Amino acid sequence: MISVKGLYHSYSKDDKYAVKNVSFEIPKGEIFGFLGPSGAGKSTTQGILTGLLSLQKGDVSVAGYDIKQIKQEMFNKIGMSFEQSNVYSKLTALENLKFYSRLFDVPTRDPKELIELVGLRGKENIRVGEFSKGMKHRLTFARSMINNPEMWFLDEPTTGLDPAIAANIKDIIREQNNKGITVFLTTHNMYIADELCDRVAFIIDGEIKLIDSPKNLKLRYGKRIVDVEYIDGSAKKKGSFSTVEQKDRDALASILHSKEILTMHTKEATLEEIFIKVTGRGLGVSEAS
Amino acid sequence: MKLLSSIKKELILAARSFYFYIEIGFALIMLAVLLFAVPEHSGARSEEYLYLDLPPAAAKVLIDETLDEDIDGRPQETELKAEGAVYKALLFQTDERDIFLMESEAAAETMTKHKKAIGAVITMDKGELHYKYFLQGYESKRLKNLLLVLHAQDFDTLETRMNEQKVINVDSGHIPLNDRENAIPPLMAFSGSLMSMFIMAAYVSLDRQEGVIKAFAVTASPVSKYLISKMFVLMLTSVISGLIVVAPLMGTKINYALLLLLLLTTGVFASMLGLLTASFFQNITKAFGIIFLPMVLFMLPAIAYYIPGWDPVWVKLIPSYPMLQGFKEIISNGDAMYVLLVSAGFLAAGFVLFLITNNRFRKTLTV
Ligand SMILES: Nc1ncnc2c1ncn2[C@@H]1O[C@H](COP(=O)(O)OP(=O)(O)OP(=O)(O)O)[C@@H](O)[C@H]1O
Ligand SMILES: [Mg+2]
Repeated sequence: MISVKGLYHSYSKDDKYAVKNVSFEIPKGEIFGFLGPSGAGKSTTQGILTGLLSLQKGDVSVAGYDIKQIKQEMFNKIGMSFEQSNVYSKLTALENLKFYSRLFDVPTRDPKELIELVGLRGKENIRVGEFSKGMKHRLTFARSMINNPEMWFLDEPTTGLDPAIAANIKDIIREQNNKGITVFLTTHNMYIADELCDRVAFIIDGEIKLIDSPKNLKLRYGKRIVDVEYIDGSAKKKGSFSTVEQKDRDALASILHSKEILTMHTKEATLEEIFIKVTGRGLGVSEAS
Repeated sequence: MKLLSSIKKELILAARSFYFYIEIGFALIMLAVLLFAVPEHSGARSEEYLYLDLPPAAAKVLIDETLDEDIDGRPQETELKAEGAVYKALLFQTDERDIFLMESEAAAETMTKHKKAIGAVITMDKGELHYKYFLQGYESKRLKNLLLVLHAQDFDTLETRMNEQKVINVDSGHIPLNDRENAIPPLMAFSGSLMSMFIMAAYVSLDRQEGVIKAFAVTASPVSKYLISKMFVLMLTSVISGLIVVAPLMGTKINYALLLLLLLTTGVFASMLGLLTASFFQNITKAFGIIFLPMVLFMLPAIAYYIPGWDPVWVKLIPSYPMLQGFKEIISNGDAMYVLLVSAGFLAAGFVLFLITNNRFRKTLTV
């Protein structure tokens, strides 16, 4: 459904790349998670894939269309939920979706039904300017489904939503995926990524560090992490150590040997911890921590 | 269908945004100013005070002749007050003059003095008319000579001469506009160009801030439809506000097809210029800083319009110049060909701007 080869992008059109040498494939029907800290290049990649940013270098095809020469009809097959909600504040929720639905050449979904789906029933005729941030975000999300897309881009669909609503959004994504829709999901929310994604890519500083399924990642790292709280000098410190990697085993051994241990337990690694392990970096803003 | 839906949405947005009302409100204010603050004739009408010291038959001939020129073909009886006295007079109103027929020479003289106008006593001697003028004393020698020449000849010769005389109006060759009508073209050019430009930039900046342009970009509808629908709304407001000003003032005197044509084509041009300007800026504050410059530039032709002595060539190159002249031709029922040419020019320029803008908008939509 998506094929990206050797993708580079620089906003300043020089060698300061926001995205460098990114390559991946997404087969039809997959939920592909794009994970990385703030500024990693997730939205940039998504922008190029949806034609919002120009393709500077690399080969990209989406839903059978070459992104070099974007055809407007391609968007009949694509849905895009934006990181920052972007709906007309002067129009009501219903007007927003109705207007949007007429911009496609394919059968569209009933705006009312979509509004109800994201829990905004009863708010159809309220101007979006009066919506809360989360409500706008849900409407933006609902709008991305209006043309029954085959390829669905979701940039932070659960950001700023309370856990119950985030779970609702997660269910909707799963449901759509069960109908065969391919999903490109950008998120900070590791629980959602963990539960939804068939595969995840870890991206940092514009580069993909790893692509694998959460299941494989856990097989590799799961249940083999030891969390230790110890006293180092006068400071209390925390550390997570893999029990399979030699470097970690050595470090853990040295702590056990020379420091005063406060607590110590093994647990299943979360995706976030795996991310930190693999990339050496945290996810920054994270709803999971 | 997509375009129609976009236009409908833009109309709803316009109706719910205050920029739309600013433009309509501005047109209403202009109309009010023109109606109540600008007199039709500010000093352009002259007053004359005459006393006819003639036999009734001769007087009747003169009066009949004057009546031919009178607007309603009837004299009005009026009373004039000056220096504590009241004088009866017959008022003849022609297009350019108010002629008061007084009942005595003294009355004509007093009124002339009081109103700083022109006065005359016409007498007859041996079948010839004689004129005695009351002047203010500051009239130029030229006028005085003219009056002398006028009456040195006998009346018949003069009349044949005058009929032979070809009168060339050196100003424009069109129906002269009164002061109020004369003020319409610059205002139309202002609301047509500056307002459309400004409001378009405002609309687009708002859309940009809300990010809805990006949402539009990922639909099966090309960006050009977005631009066209915006332009359509601007053209509509420009037509509405133009008619608000022109229709009550000009009534059925002018060619509305030409007016619509020019309003629409200048609307295309100006709104595209606004779109292009807005495409360079991320938000409205930044856009306004720069849109100020073309606005000032566009106002220069209006200044040239009011200061007859100042009309340099480079001012004529500013787009609002032909705009203003075009409106002037329409208001004065002048050169329709000029209006057509100017309209075609604006349409062509608008189209080029549209191509550039369309291209820019596709490139500058950032994530
Ligand atoms: N419009 C822009 N102009 C210039 N640089 C930009 C622009 N947008 C993003 N960048 C830069 O590109 C890099 C990648 O940004 P991007 O928005 O893709 O990150 P992200 O992974 O989506 O982050 P976040 O999780 O905060 O959404 C960052 O260094 C950012 O500063
Ligand atoms: Mg982002």
